[in-house]
Amino acid sequence: MKLNRYVKAALTAAAVTMVGSLGHAQQAGGSLVFLVQPEPPTMAGYVSTSGPIGLLGPKIYDGLFDYDNDGKMVPMLAESVDVSADGKTVTFKLRKGVTWHDGEAFTSEDVQFTIMDVLKKVHPRGPNSFKEVSSIDTPDDHTAIFNLDNPAPYMLRALSSYESPMVPKHHLEGQDIKAAKLANSPIGTGPFKFVEWKKGQYIRLDKNENYWKDGRPYLDRIVGRFVPDASTRAAAMEKGEVLYAAYNAVSNVEAVRLNKEKDDISITTNGYSMINPMALIEFNTKEGPFTDAAVRRAISTAIDRQYMIDTIFFGYGKPATSALSSNFGATGLHAAMPNYPANGDIAAANKILDDAGYAKDANGVRMKAMFDLIPYGEDWKRGGQYIQQVLGEIGIDVELRYEDVPTWLKRIYHNYDFEMNLNYFYQLSDPVLGVHRHYGTNMIRQGTHFVNSSRYSNPELDALLSAGMTEPNAEKRAAVYLDIQKILANDMPVVNLFELEFLTVYNTKLKGAYDSAMGAYASFGDAYLE
Amino acid sequence: MNRSSKIFRYVSRRLIQGIPIILAIVVLNFFLLNLAEGDAVDVLAGEAGSATPEYMEEMRKKFGLDKPLPVQLAVYLKNVIQLDLGYSFRHDMQVTELIIDRFWPTLILMVSTILLAVGFGILLGLFAAINLNTWKDSVVSVFALITYATPLFWVGLMMIILFSIKNDWFPTSGMENSAMFYEGFERVKDIAHHLVLPTITLSLFYLALYTRMMRASMLEQYGQDYVITARAKGVTERRITFVHVLRNALLPVVTMAGVQVGALIGGSVIVESVFAWPGLGMLAFESLFARDLNLLLGIFLLSSALVVAVNLVVDVIYCFLDPRIEVN
Repeated sequence: MKLNRYVKAALTAAAVTMVGSLGHAQQAGGSLVFLVQPEPPTMAGYVSTSGPIGLLGPKIYDGLFDYDNDGKMVPMLAESVDVSADGKTVTFKLRKGVTWHDGEAFTSEDVQFTIMDVLKKVHPRGPNSFKEVSSIDTPDDHTAIFNLDNPAPYMLRALSSYESPMVPKHHLEGQDIKAAKLANSPIGTGPFKFVEWKKGQYIRLDKNENYWKDGRPYLDRIVGRFVPDASTRAAAMEKGEVLYAAYNAVSNVEAVRLNKEKDDISITTNGYSMINPMALIEFNTKEGPFTDAAVRRAISTAIDRQYMIDTIFFGYGKPATSALSSNFGATGLHAAMPNYPANGDIAAANKILDDAGYAKDANGVRMKAMFDLIPYGEDWKRGGQYIQQVLGEIGIDVELRYEDVPTWLKRIYHNYDFEMNLNYFYQLSDPVLGVHRHYGTNMIRQGTHFVNSSRYSNPELDALLSAGMTEPNAEKRAAVYLDIQKILANDMPVVNLFELEFLTVYNTKLKGAYDSAMGAYASFGDAYLE
Repeated sequence: MNRSSKIFRYVSRRLIQGIPIILAIVVLNFFLLNLAEGDAVDVLAGEAGSATPEYMEEMRKKFGLDKPLPVQLAVYLKNVIQLDLGYSFRHDMQVTELIIDRFWPTLILMVSTILLAVGFGILLGLFAAINLNTWKDSVVSVFALITYATPLFWVGLMMIILFSIKNDWFPTSGMENSAMFYEGFERVKDIAHHLVLPTITLSLFYLALYTRMMRASMLEQYGQDYVITARAKGVTERRITFVHVLRNALLPVVTMAGVQVGALIGGSVIVESVFAWPGLGMLAFESLFARDLNLLLGIFLLSSALVVAVNLVVDVIYCFLDPRIEVN
């Protein structure tokens, strides 16, 4: 017995030295406490894409694929995917030996059920992502064949555990999915198992000992803590009580300070390229002062985008140059357009309005308008105040309105009782998923949030949007989106301001948590503490 | 009738009187809350990114929000009378369960704050009154003025910076260490450790109030005829202060403490927010913005019941402090 122990110790020592010499220093064990802001309503990532759910859900549920920082697909529950020549048959080979946290085996039936009965039906974005999927065949436990009505190239960008988590059929079948118990006691295949949710304090996840990836996860535990006050969040970060904070849970001003003052705290803007947040102004194109595209173009021309980024968002952001985020440049879809000057041009904006026949009165005012601001914090108030000032210089006298979230949502997306609205949209990993909803005639849906509230309708654009959706050839698709961007740069139902760059603040003790394009919405299976 | 049975009858009568008061508060709250634009479904759908109108209609139906207001109220009242506070659709949990879960942290914070504030307030007020118009009195008065006038959130943040970041004495926030998850006695110690900063912060504000009140109350009592009589009898100043004056001077302070128990639930929102203390105040605050009316009504119901109950307790304490006050 004794000898045995010594042999074991020697072997362990040898293994440690070997691992060390290979340059890997991943240590197993330890608790990662990180900030989740605000507290999520439930843990049902298959029903809601709410941000805080995204921070925790992907630790519990896996997707078919993950994406690395270059946008390449990384196998998760699916080992490979094969798209047929006509683009209408997509075959996934699933990983073998994967079990749910309750011990049941994960099979192709779960995939079929998740897509057809859950994501396509109750997920906010699933009906778009999997629109073309008419059925899924399951010839064996480890093969899922998606049958599509039309090619859907964007679908392969929506397979992450945040966007499309795989859920256990045996816990949802035959139930009202939106009311199922799974929402508050999640069971997935992910690296961490749900243990406890103390309302107002934290959610605790412990290591999944049977995770499919060998030796993972490294961490024993992940705890998401809820701290309502922004200054306290920064203090907790500074003290090392929490090690990771994404989506500006620690405000830009504090993040920049901590990065400068503390050796063990760093910041990154990586991990948001699949989210693609874009700050913008929506206009009511049906009534009020902004029915004329010339006025909207003038506003886009007047605003100094770079100034807004530098002074309000501490330099984190990129001026928008078209209706699409420049991140779509990776797939060749983005092209810079006129009417989006980075530094603003007051004289040119005034000229557009003069030419369009809007004369200034004795006080230099051409028109008055109400400007609603997204109620998500101080930055947006300041942004509104800046725009108010600039518009004053071109003779548009705007009054600011800041309400609470439910009142604001109702006003913009249900009552259409607004003239212009400061907002931001996630453009997501493909224009079909994140951008089409803002412009298509079929997306004028009263009562649905974050769709075409401008009520802009252009049959020519609609035709192009449908073409962009199903075109499998990358070059032809790029041509379609070039035309789309040209039309939108001229009509401007929405004026894009800048691509937001969210900040992730992290303690350098935490390693291995930065390789996924999903950033904070990734599984953290490879994360470890030094 | 002897005194204890008198008190019993009084208490039961007051309790029965409390029921219509609480119900009236519920009805009033119900209509007030429904005046706000938007409902729970709007918020849930808004957070989810997007949802179809059909889906939202279906949710409203499920939550019972599609029915006219009077019907919703009738359903709610019927449930309340059966002691069922309803369901929070946002949290997917029973309201009672949610409230009880958050009630203990609130209670711990509330009781320790009241004890600290009332205890020290009485001592400081007494000290100031005894040393009237000396530098000691001035120091106490200036201290009370400053703590009363300083915004709570600022005091809280300064506490964190001083005692948590500059000096590593206390944790910044939370109720327990969420990396360790202590158990048993270790956990009690851990919670007490987390409790220190929020309690001091919240007490400072109330402490000032009680100090000033105690001082004024003592001075008022010193001017009463019975004090002169006592002096004429040759009672020592010490005895006059601690036996005669102190006891009478406590009455207004106790009344104030009773009234403030209700206010403490709501008034601790700032402290709960700064120190991430998981109490009812934050829960109420969040549910307002989520339009989680069932939950909000439940919290209001609890706090109104609490105010009624505490006031009753205060009234009973009265007749022990001052035997001349009789219950009837």
